[in-house]
Amino acid sequence: MTRINELPVTEDMNLVTAVTHTLRQEMQRDPSVRVMGYDIGPIGGVFRATEGLFDEFGPERVIDTPLSENGLLGVAVGMAMRGERPVIEMQFLAFMYNAWGQFIYNLANLHQKTGGAMKVPLTIRATFGGGIKPLPFHSDSTEAYLMHTPGVRVVCPSTPAQAKGLLAAAIRSDDPVVFLEHTKMYRSFREPVPVADYTLPLDKCRVVQEGSDLTLIAWGNMLHYSIAAAAAVAAATHASIEIIDMCSLAPLDVAPVLASVKKTGRCVIVHEARRTAGPGAEISALINEYALEYLKAPVKRVTAFDVFFPENQIEDAYLPSPGRIKSGIEAVLNYQF
Amino acid sequence: MGEKKWAEVRPSEDYFRILNPDGSVKDGAKASVPEVSREELLRWYEVLVETRTFEAMVLRLQRRGVLSVAASSRGEEACGLGAAAALQAGDWLFPAYRQLSAVLYWNAPVDRIMAGLMGNTPEHIREHLPLPPELPHSVNMMPYPIFLGAYIPLAVGCALADKLNGRKHVSLAFVGEGSTSEGDFHDGLNFAGVLESPCVIIVQNNQWSISVPASRQTAAATFAQKAVAHGLPHERVDGNDIFAVYDTVKKAVDRARAGGGATLIEAVTYRILDHNSADSSAVYRTEDEAEYWKTLDPVERFEKYLFNAGVLEQATKTAIEERAEKRLREEIDRGRAVPPTSPDDMFLHHLQGEPGWSVKHQRDELACELAGGNPFLDMTGEGVQ
Repeated sequence: MTRINELPVTEDMNLVTAVTHTLRQEMQRDPSVRVMGYDIGPIGGVFRATEGLFDEFGPERVIDTPLSENGLLGVAVGMAMRGERPVIEMQFLAFMYNAWGQFIYNLANLHQKTGGAMKVPLTIRATFGGGIKPLPFHSDSTEAYLMHTPGVRVVCPSTPAQAKGLLAAAIRSDDPVVFLEHTKMYRSFREPVPVADYTLPLDKCRVVQEGSDLTLIAWGNMLHYSIAAAAAVAAATHASIEIIDMCSLAPLDVAPVLASVKKTGRCVIVHEARRTAGPGAEISALINEYALEYLKAPVKRVTAFDVFFPENQIEDAYLPSPGRIKSGIEAVLNYQF
Repeated sequence: MGEKKWAEVRPSEDYFRILNPDGSVKDGAKASVPEVSREELLRWYEVLVETRTFEAMVLRLQRRGVLSVAASSRGEEACGLGAAAALQAGDWLFPAYRQLSAVLYWNAPVDRIMAGLMGNTPEHIREHLPLPPELPHSVNMMPYPIFLGAYIPLAVGCALADKLNGRKHVSLAFVGEGSTSEGDFHDGLNFAGVLESPCVIIVQNNQWSISVPASRQTAAATFAQKAVAHGLPHERVDGNDIFAVYDTVKKAVDRARAGGGATLIEAVTYRILDHNSADSSAVYRTEDEAEYWKTLDPVERFEKYLFNAGVLEQATKTAIEERAEKRLREEIDRGRAVPPTSPDDMFLHHLQGEPGWSVKHQRDELACELAGGNPFLDMTGEGVQ
């Protein structure tokens, strides 16, 4: 695997332009890669993630489909099992609930049901997450639904360069992969992204910052809020905080989490997903099962609440903020048995 | 048991038919008897005999406790067979629930089917019943789906992949009339129309989805007409007339292969027996209607035609029956002789490559438990001993 920092030629990209750039590069590399979905043709996606691709590759490589997530997913699985590599766009993760049947019966189960004889090399790009104040069911962060299903990989990048490597790996993977794109991050910042093609592992989390006093786990946009919160705590207390970007949500990359918590003895998990049976529940349970004797404080979850994503005026109170994350970190750091 | 039962509404017999129930050719239909060789007609008859024999054997095995559940396609065999016979090697077949005749026509290995009914994993069956190195020319068969209607979009995509790559294959999918109420059915038809997918969808309308009659699935006059809203051509045929099914499906398959897109076909038939061995249809329907449909039996009808046409005679019939009985008994014995699947097989083939920390750990836990150990003693994540 090529190391990103060994690729000298870069272009500044944000998350959405990194996605477009990667889709174009993968489509040029492999004719079996086809982009499918509704509003992905001439309009280039409601977030413009497929902008220009219809002109460049034509309607058989960039397939604008009828508006049905279930039909889209089912038809794409039928193509994938025959050797195509469809990359389908779920305009919003919450729109995919309509495709629940195809997601489980066919996408996730086909490889197992056929004893490994058939495979489904399909990528679902789904936008998710809150913070841009759109309409209801445009902000859900329900990755736990996906993680509960065997047979599917789930990844979530938090930077443009990481997005490129993970999306290329997802497209080239023979497993079905859900690639989560946080809408708030689409245009929130740019960074240099190597122009040459490269992949990143789909099953490895990323240690963003090493530390010895507390393990802070987050992904997507919450990673950036967590980095800000950790910096604020460190500035005030000189606490040494280890930050893990849990970009590989399924299968969950457990070993580095356990190793980190055994080192720090404290852990805070941050996510936009609802708390009950959310991803943090699984991570916390694993720590409880396999690192209990190393703990110096209870594991805390700084998450959204167990309610529907609320109306625009009050969504900021629903989403974990850097301030709320800072409070979580402080509570765990200051706890004494 | 409740006292009330569903009133049955006999479906209109205003459909395409070639063979009358008595095996004679319908007046004016002589020109439309499909051109099928004598060998092929006898092959059809043999598959019908095999289907009926195998399902009877399986039902007996279920009653003896060898199998947990068994279902039968008795009275519906012409739907699967007539449709499957219209395919070519290399085409794709998506069965629904009662299409044993379709897969037997294309030489599905019965020993493997039996081992599957016994609850073995595909991996285990593959290991113990390897296929011969030289496979017969056949269609590609998808495994039985269990879920309802969800294969329809898959078949549409499968056919689309062939079209986009210039391959001249057709995908054919079955669905029960009950499953036409599922969203998947309409999703599939809609995409098939818009994307001009070379596929054929067959509604095997056997009047009952477990206990709910066809009259409660739709207020539409027919299931075939559901194609109208999706812009697809549609046909409605006597599903107990193998010639009508074959002829209609063949035209649809040929059209799809030539780039003419998808077709919806309703094959009207009847579920003579219970839904499966766990069902008791006496609870929800009277048996009068089943008695009527027995007079329309597809196998007897075809057999009479073959006798009248001089294709079949008693000695040949007896020989076919004896051969089927002997072969199926041997195949069933081979399937039953497969040793039990290892519980560890449940962990196979969920993802390619590394399955992840949790699955690896859980797999070790099960192995530890099966070896007599306590799988819950790992307190550090370093592994189950």
